[in-house]
Formats: sequence, C-alpha cells, structure tokens
Amino acid sequence: MPSNNQLDPKENALFKRVLKCYEQKQYKNGLKFAKQILSNPKFSEHGETLAMKGLTLNCLGKKEDAYDYVKKGLKNDLKSHVCWHVYGLLQRSDRKYEEAIKCYRNALKWDKDNLQILRDLSLLQIQMRDLEGYRETRYQLLVLRPIQRASWIGYAMAHHLLKNYEMAFQVLEEFRKTQSDVKPWDYEHSELLLYQNNVLTEAGNLQAALDHLNKYETHILDKLVLFETRASLLLKLEMFEEAENIYLKLIDRNPENKAYYEGVAAARRCETPESKLAIYKEIKEKYPRASVPRRMPLIFASPSQGFKEYADALLRRSLQKGIPPLFVMLKPLYQDAQKVTILEELILQYANNLKSCNKFHHDDDETQNPTVLLWTYHLLAQHFDQIGDTVKALDYINEALNHTVTLIELLVVKAKIFKHAGDVVQAAECMDEAQSLDTADRFINSKCAKYMIRAGWMTKAEVMCAKFTREGMPATESLNEMQCMWYQSECAASYMNQGRYGEALKKCVEIDRHFMQINDDQFDFHTYCMRKMTLRAYIDLLRLEDRLKCHKFYVKTATIAISIYVHLHDHPVADRKQKDDNDSGLSASELKKRKNKERKAAKKAAAEQAAKRAEEAKKEHNKKLPPADPDIDRVPEETLDPEKLERTEKPLDEAIKFLKPLLSLRPNDLNTHILAFEIYFRRSKPLLMLQAIKKGLSIDTCDPVLHTCVIRFLKYVASTKHDNPAVKEVLESEMASLFPNGVDPVVVNNKFLENYPKSLPHLLAAAKMMFLLDTETGERARSLVIGLNSDLTSVNIKSCTEVLKALEGDELGKCEKMYQDYKELCHEKFPFARAFFPPNKLVNGNSEVENEP
Amino acid sequence: MADEDKNVEKDNENKGKKHDSGTADLEKVTDFEEEKEISPQSIQDAMKIVAEKQRKVNEEKLLREKELARVKVNKEDVELIMNEMEISRQLAERKLKEHKSDLVPALRDLLN
Repeated sequence: MPSNNQLDPKENALFKRVLKCYEQKQYKNGLKFAKQILSNPKFSEHGETLAMKGLTLNCLGKKEDAYDYVKKGLKNDLKSHVCWHVYGLLQRSDRKYEEAIKCYRNALKWDKDNLQILRDLSLLQIQMRDLEGYRETRYQLLVLRPIQRASWIGYAMAHHLLKNYEMAFQVLEEFRKTQSDVKPWDYEHSELLLYQNNVLTEAGNLQAALDHLNKYETHILDKLVLFETRASLLLKLEMFEEAENIYLKLIDRNPENKAYYEGVAAARRCETPESKLAIYKEIKEKYPRASVPRRMPLIFASPSQGFKEYADALLRRSLQKGIPPLFVMLKPLYQDAQKVTILEELILQYANNLKSCNKFHHDDDETQNPTVLLWTYHLLAQHFDQIGDTVKALDYINEALNHTVTLIELLVVKAKIFKHAGDVVQAAECMDEAQSLDTADRFINSKCAKYMIRAGWMTKAEVMCAKFTREGMPATESLNEMQCMWYQSECAASYMNQGRYGEALKKCVEIDRHFMQINDDQFDFHTYCMRKMTLRAYIDLLRLEDRLKCHKFYVKTATIAISIYVHLHDHPVADRKQKDDNDSGLSASELKKRKNKERKAAKKAAAEQAAKRAEEAKKEHNKKLPPADPDIDRVPEETLDPEKLERTEKPLDEAIKFLKPLLSLRPNDLNTHILAFEIYFRRSKPLLMLQAIKKGLSIDTCDPVLHTCVIRFLKYVASTKHDNPAVKEVLESEMASLFPNGVDPVVVNNKFLENYPKSLPHLLAAAKMMFLLDTETGERARSLVIGLNSDLTSVNIKSCTEVLKALEGDELGKCEKMYQDYKELCHEKFPFARAFFPPNKLVNGNSEVENEP
Repeated sequence: MADEDKNVEKDNENKGKKHDSGTADLEKVTDFEEEKEISPQSIQDAMKIVAEKQRKVNEEKLLREKELARVKVNKEDVELIMNEMEISRQLAERKLKEHKSDLVPALRDLLN
C-alpha cells in the first residue's frame, strides 16, 4: 500500500473484515469493525478506515454523515487509493459522474494497476460516453488481464463505438482465434460471431460480412437473424436471385412481416405497382389466412389497378368479423382523395343493402348477421369524422347507438367525433359513459382520464386513474412512480391551457426526470452485457439511450416547458396574477365556480376512495401490496413546488435546458428551431437567432410561424447597433445570402403576403407582423384575416382560434367589437367548437357538467 | 422480543440488498463468468498486434493535439464566442484554434 498510514496486524485484519462486510452488504457488522479500529487511540484518525465507515454509512442511507467521514478520511490520507476510490464511489452513488471520474483518476495515480478501480472508471466513462477515455481504460485492462475475455470484448467495443471498425474487427478476430474449442451449442460464441459480423456490415465491408456469415454459419444459432442478415447483405450486394429465395423462405416462416415482402420486391426490382401486387397475390394464394397480403395492396394499388376490388374484399371480411380497429387500417389511405371516394361509395352501399335486405349486395347469396350493419355504421361514422363532416358522423354513430346502446366502441367513436369538432366537454362525457360500461377495462379507463384532462377536469381524471393505481397513495404520485408519461404530458398540456403554469412545469420536470432515470438505468448493463455476450443488444441499448430524448413524450414536454418559460419571461408571475383577475377569459364568478367544482370533486373523490378502501380491506387481506420500494440508491429528488417553479428567476436558462436535447437530437424538426429562436430572441443573441432562422428556413421556407421569427429578427437587427466588427461581418454576409430580396422587414413581409394570399395561417402571420412593424396598419392587418366565407384555405378550428387569440391579445390593434363579431362568425361555422361558444352557452355547458353523476 | 429484533435486522439486510445499484448483485449472479478465461497460448501474438495499432493511433492523435496547442488565441475573442454562441470555454477555444485564431470564420463555422 503506498499510503504511509500502516495499520498494525490486528487492525489490518479488522480492516479487511470491514471491506469484506461492505462487499457482502453486512453494513452493521462493517461499522462494528470500523469502530474497533478507530477506538484504538493510535488509529483514531486512520484515513482509510474513516472513509470506509463513511461509505458503509452511505449504504445505510446516512448521506450527510457519509460525506463527513469520507472527506475526513481523505484529508487524513491523501495518498491512499482506497480513500480516493471510496470518494469516487460515494459521488457515483449521487450521480455526480464527472466528479467520480476525477476521484478514480486520483486513485489510479497512487495505484495505477488497480483492476477494480480501472473497471469502475471504465463503467463511468462509457456511461458518460467519454469514448476516448473508455478506450484508454479498456486498453489498460486488456494489458493487465489479457486472459480475461471481457478485456478483449470491452476493448473491441470501444473501437467500434469510436467507429474504428477495422480495429474493432481485428481485436475481435484475435480474440476469436484464441477460442480453440467451441462447443456445438455455444450461444455466447454465436452472439460473438454475429456481433463481429455487425461490425463488418457497419464498416461497409459487405462482401467480407457475407463471407464471414457463410464461413461460420454452423456456429450461428440464431437462425432468424442469420437469414435476415444474409438476405439484406445479398440484396445490397445485388445478388438478387439468392436474396429473393431467402426472403421467400422468411415469408414461409412468418407471412405477417411486411419487411420480407419489401425484400422480395426489392430483389425482383419491382418498380411498378402491378409487379408488387403480383407478389402479394402469389403469397395470398399460398397463405390465404395471412393478413398482410390482403392489407398491403390497398396502399399502392391505384383505382385503375383494382383498388376497389381489394378494398371490397377486405372491408367485407372485416365487417363480417366485426373488427373494431378496421378504420385504423384504412386511415393511411385518406391521403388519396380518389381512394376516399371509392371507400365512401362502398361503405354507403353496404349500409343501404344491409338495411334493406341484410346483404352486402343484392346479388349476394349470403345474408349477414345484424351486427354487420352495426359495424358498418361504426365505420361510416369514423369515415365522416375523418373527412370533417361532424353532422353526418354524429348521425351515423347515433344510428349505431340506436341499434346497440351498450357497445363501448361506439361511445368511444362518438367521443372522438366531439373531440375533433372542438367540444372537449361533450367528448369527455361520452368517454365517461363508455368507461362506465366496463370499469374493469384499463384501456377505456385511461382514455377516459385523458379526455377528462383535455376538458380540464383534473381532479375527476385523477379519481378515474385511481381505480387502477396503488392504494394508499395519491394517483398522481403513483403514476409518477410508474413513469406514466402519457398522463403527465397530458396534464402538463392541460395545465398550460388553464394558465396554471407552475403545475404544468411540475409535470414537465417530472417527465424530464424520468428520462434521466432511464439513462441511469443503463448502468447495470455495462457489466452485465459484456459478460453475457449480448453484444448486439448492448450496442443497440447504448444507441437507444443516446437518442432517448427524440421520443415524442420528451419533444412534447420540452415544447410545453419552453413555451411556458418564454411566457413567464414575458409575463413574470406577479404581473400575471393581476392580469388574470382583469381580463382572463374567466370572470370572477366563473373562477369561483370552477374552484367550487374542483373542491366538490375532490371531496367526492376522497369519500369514494375511503369507502372503497374500507370495502376492499374487508374483502381481502391476502392481496396486500408490498410496501413502497425504498430505493435509497436513487438520489432523493428535490420535491417540486409549482409556486416556486413558476417564479423561477431565470426562466430562459431553464428553457435552454429543455432546448439543448432537441437541438442535438432533432435538428431536422422545424419546431426545434422556432423554439430556439423564441429563446435567443429574448436573450438578444443575434448570431444564435440567425442560426435558428437559417436552419428553420432550410427545412421549410414557407412556414408561417417561422416567418414571424424572420420578421422579428430583421426588425431586431435593423434597430440594434452591433459593436463587434466580427459579429457584424458575419451577420451581414450570412443575411445577404439568406435573404435575396433584401433585409427590409416591411419588404420581406409584403413579399410573403404576395406569395401566400389565400392561406389563413400565412395571412395571420403576415398581418401580425404588419401591425408589429407599423401600428398604424391595424385596420388593414385585421381585414386580411377576418373574412371566413371567401376562398381562403386552411380554415379550421385551429387557425380560427389563432386568429381569435390574436384579436383578443390586441396583436392586430384594439378591436373589441371585431373580436366578438369574429367569434360569432366562427361559432356559426364550427357550431361544436367550444372555443367559439358565446358566454351564455359556455355557462350552460359547465353546469351540465356539474350535474353529471 | 428477541425474535422480533432478529426479524427487524433481517428486514434491514434485505432492504440493504435492494439499495445497492444492482451492479454488485449482477456481479454475483454472473460471477462464474469471471472464471472463463482464455488459454494463454496465442495471446502474446494477439497482444503485440493490438499494442502496435494502439501506439499508432496514439501517435497520430498526439501530433494533432500538438499542432492545435501551438496556436495562440486572443482571450477576448474566446469570450466573445462564448457569449455570442453560448458555448463552453473549451469548445470556443478549440473552434478558434481550428480556424487559426481567425474570429470571423470561427463564428461562421459555429453558425452552420
């Protein structure tokens, strides 16, 4: 031991027992032995013992004491690798990975060949994706322990991750050569070979990969992967005949995998839809019960190529069987207007014939069951909902409900129709009714909760969810523990719409923490996968974790969080409260009503829960759930206080935290750059604004929201003096190439108006900017957007709501009267949309809700 | 009473097992893997090849780093980049060095 603090033999033996106790998790005994050493006055300040005592305390959950002891131990013995290692482990358990790496490095200074420390260091490095460092450490491990196979695999993997494919392959190859006697069913060896093959493929060395695969065919036990890999390699190497044969064989194994059909099509070099259709026809004859060959042709068969016949066959079969998600299958076809017409004709025909003679067609021999008509109505309702004909959609769904009033699927569709028509309240009521028909169905329960959240009934939604969550704790807490992100992101969106920003942010931060947790969860796999040789899966896991925040839940959450933080920057909370009382959409009485309602609901919920609990307790004792998982290893999170969250001092800094992952992982998403602009605009960073605009324009030159960014940017640049010549030079040269029509915001805005004179969202964007540039133009700006009956395009609930918001927020000048008129106009056009309800109707709607059971 | 104490202690122990990140547990489960070792016959040759390659990689990297380290940068320029582009000092310095201390191209590079 390099440390100069040597223990006597007796104490040394005790110290070894302390270490052993720690390893075996006998923490209390460990503390006992540590105490014995420290009680000897000669060693009462012994650094390593103090550090170990701290580490042991940490495992018992005494975080503060742990830090005290470990730090004290380290201070007493700065040259001990044990102390540094212990400090690193402590930091690691607190997720302070960067700090922990530093500690390990210090430890290695005093004992550079310590295997355990090197291993721990390599784990942290791969966790932090310090790939260069990881490679170095793995190299040292390889040199120290070349007879261990994990050393080789780890080193190869480091090179693979650094994209040094050749080196990775070489290392694996050298390792493979040492494996002289492979047993016939060695699955781990099979995985190694497949991983090696992956490396070759990723390096673009396709021929070598194919040869490798052929050479080791007998050793590769995962035959499915063997076939799939070989087929794709053959295809890429343009050995079409062989590729086709394998894909056909794969279809024999599983005729429901779409990818295999595409493989056959690619191998046959099918370019026309006819040639592709031939494949599906062929397979359909061979496997008449397979669904893919019946389903897929609908997508690429044009009306002249028998689309109608394919659709007819599929629809009849599905309606006969009563397959509720039939519409989901058809939905992709709605991009093609011709196909939509054909579908509509077909289904309407069925409905008429089924009604008059119980047959799909008069000439049919077979008569159909009455439920077939029911499913036909169900489908028609969804069809008309999809094409935006709310009235017809409601007619058909009501017709269906007259037929069978208790069919859950019908009520779900009815709720959807209301939702799409803009009436979240009726939608939620319908869903609630659907839910009441089968309270044991968690799917419908969740759907109902989601609709309630959309309607803003937060307490009711929680009560709904509580039917399925763990007892003895609030549903929101339990859902948070389960990382139930659909619930939390819906809540965040709803709270934002209600102006309860703190609550919304709380949900956003909770979701962000889930993502952090998922990232942390990979820690265990760094050692496990290497030993179990599940290398392909491990690499996939690492890559998945790297792109984790691409997930739609994160994108949605980040968007909400950033929008709120930007809003809070513009309207800090103190301001907002006053404004809320004055001119938020709700009057004082309405606010009071809402609060009353929520209080009532909460009371009811509590009573219900208490009753239920009592009942359940009586009913069964054996179904006791285990106590809450006391995972101390996880850092106790700071509790989130909505009040505090919405009063953050630096909202833009918080917003950037959510923006960063989007910038690196979703650079091709326009939304990312619009959000970036909103932040940097408020931070007065011209170059970063320019960057956002440039990237945004490279994705979509005609987006209306991006246009508002462009104009605000130009206005900002024109009105701001740039002191630094370099910044000025970059700005000017970049802008010159970006805006060929010049950089005068008024000119650019007028040009935009000329280019998109018929689209409501574009007109609104241009009008807002017109008013922003010159407040005298309010009247002209307003006249651009308030006509609804002309030949405008993209007139829908969303765009009209945006116009209404602009009028309400005086973004087009003061115009109280015009706001009211426009709202009435919209109400006529979209009678179901609550956004345009006149106040008296809204109040009625609310009281209805309250009376609802 | 004594029994109860024992139980409590046992419970604590069980909990203790859960507390650890699980890495240690996994290690236990897979301990036998550690035994699987390579017969040392061809290791010498294999190691030689690997070491040679690693050496080359290291040399190239060092050379590149040395070149960059020679470039001197203006502290004010670094701070301007940090402030305008909101990036770390490390990255700002590196970008500036890659562009031979020329501010405008460095900014332009970061912009695109």
